[in-house]
Amino acid sequence: MDLLDRYLQAVKKHLPWKRQDDIIAELRANLEAQLEDKEAALGRPLTQGEAEDWLRQIGAPIQVAARYLPQQYLIGPALFPTYWFVLRLAFMWSMIIYAILSAVLIATQTPNGNAFLEAMLRVPVILMQVAAWVTLIFAVIEFAAVHYPEKCPTIAGVAADWSPATLPPLEKEDAAGKKPRSFAHAVAEVVFGFLFLIWLLLIPHYPYLLLGPGAFYLHGSPFQLAHFWVAFYWAVVGLNVLQLAWRTVNLARGAWQKSRHMEHILMSALGLIPLGLLLTVRDQIFVTLAHPALDQARYGGTVDALNKLIHMSALIVCAIAVLSLAWEIVQMRVDAYRKRVAATL
Amino acid sequence: MGYSMTVTDNVFENLRLELRRGCLTLAVLAQLRQEHYGYTLRKALAERGLEIDESTLYPLLRRLEAQGLLASEWREEDKRNKRFYHLSGDGQRIFGQLIEEWQAINASINSIL
Repeated sequence: MDLLDRYLQAVKKHLPWKRQDDIIAELRANLEAQLEDKEAALGRPLTQGEAEDWLRQIGAPIQVAARYLPQQYLIGPALFPTYWFVLRLAFMWSMIIYAILSAVLIATQTPNGNAFLEAMLRVPVILMQVAAWVTLIFAVIEFAAVHYPEKCPTIAGVAADWSPATLPPLEKEDAAGKKPRSFAHAVAEVVFGFLFLIWLLLIPHYPYLLLGPGAFYLHGSPFQLAHFWVAFYWAVVGLNVLQLAWRTVNLARGAWQKSRHMEHILMSALGLIPLGLLLTVRDQIFVTLAHPALDQARYGGTVDALNKLIHMSALIVCAIAVLSLAWEIVQMRVDAYRKRVAATL
Repeated sequence: MGYSMTVTDNVFENLRLELRRGCLTLAVLAQLRQEHYGYTLRKALAERGLEIDESTLYPLLRRLEAQGLLASEWREEDKRNKRFYHLSGDGQRIFGQLIEEWQAINASINSIL
């Protein structure tokens, strides 16, 4: 039967060459016996359509051949959870290291206009390279475990050495109704924190990143920012570095789900430092004239009004920040009291 | 509604295949206490109500032979070379253990049901 020969020939092409003749001979014997039975039952040979239906029911050649092959995995189910865990760690640390390096390079090198954009565009390439290397390493481990099981008995042994005594202590529950932060959320906070820091460090070189088109107006205007703003700027940078370091350490220690009350209150308290600096500015001079001798008569009144406005705004912001901090402290103490009461019930 | 029915059907089909997989091996080993080649084995199982696709049964015979549970030999019958399978010594021993396991599981499931 021509159609059966063609079918077996197609199956053969998808079989390993060492075993294909043997498999095809057996398959042929079985299918020919089946065909004889069918034709004996009908009392005539199968029509072309009936033969096609029969072979279609057996399955496509590539699928039939695939059943004879051993199940193959690039990374098998025993190794996959470890692979996934390592991949996530590799993603996280590569992004953190890359963000730190980028921030340092951008801050220390002569900046050019596209440095930030270029750093961002390299992120997908780095992630793909990290994924490729981790996958390659685990594929080699899987290959070794499958082909040389006597030499690699410890693949399953990763879990065999595990002991309940090594489990981390029970994590503190978050406030009622709130879901604990996910790992992805914590990583995103760190990565975006670094990106924000890069942006912050670029502002002195590219004021338009903060002020937008206003930077060009300021440059051409008779006004300039007082020297005090340098100290204010570095206080804000320092605060962000501290917060980022805190979150990174938490992430590295696996403590990203822990309660963040203390971190929040500490950061709010430290946030009062740059705000406090605003109130200590000598003579409340935030903005000055670029050329006082030339412009004092025309813009002197405007500068005074502007400085008073900024001082007043600083006072209001400081007051709000202090009240907010006080409220958070009260809330934290109330929560702690409720937990103590609940524990005694 | 249609979507959820499809999902449910898929779940059932996956569970059914999982349930069947082990049973098929047991049935094939049981049937091969007596010698068969692929097609007659398939017919014998079908006559007892256990239909198995060609593309499932024939590769399964190869795997069981590779695991040492079956032995085979090529022999001419009705002017055609065929590969006949039967339980090996190891296969008989393991089959006995599997039958005990099967009966224990069956008894437990029946008592649960």
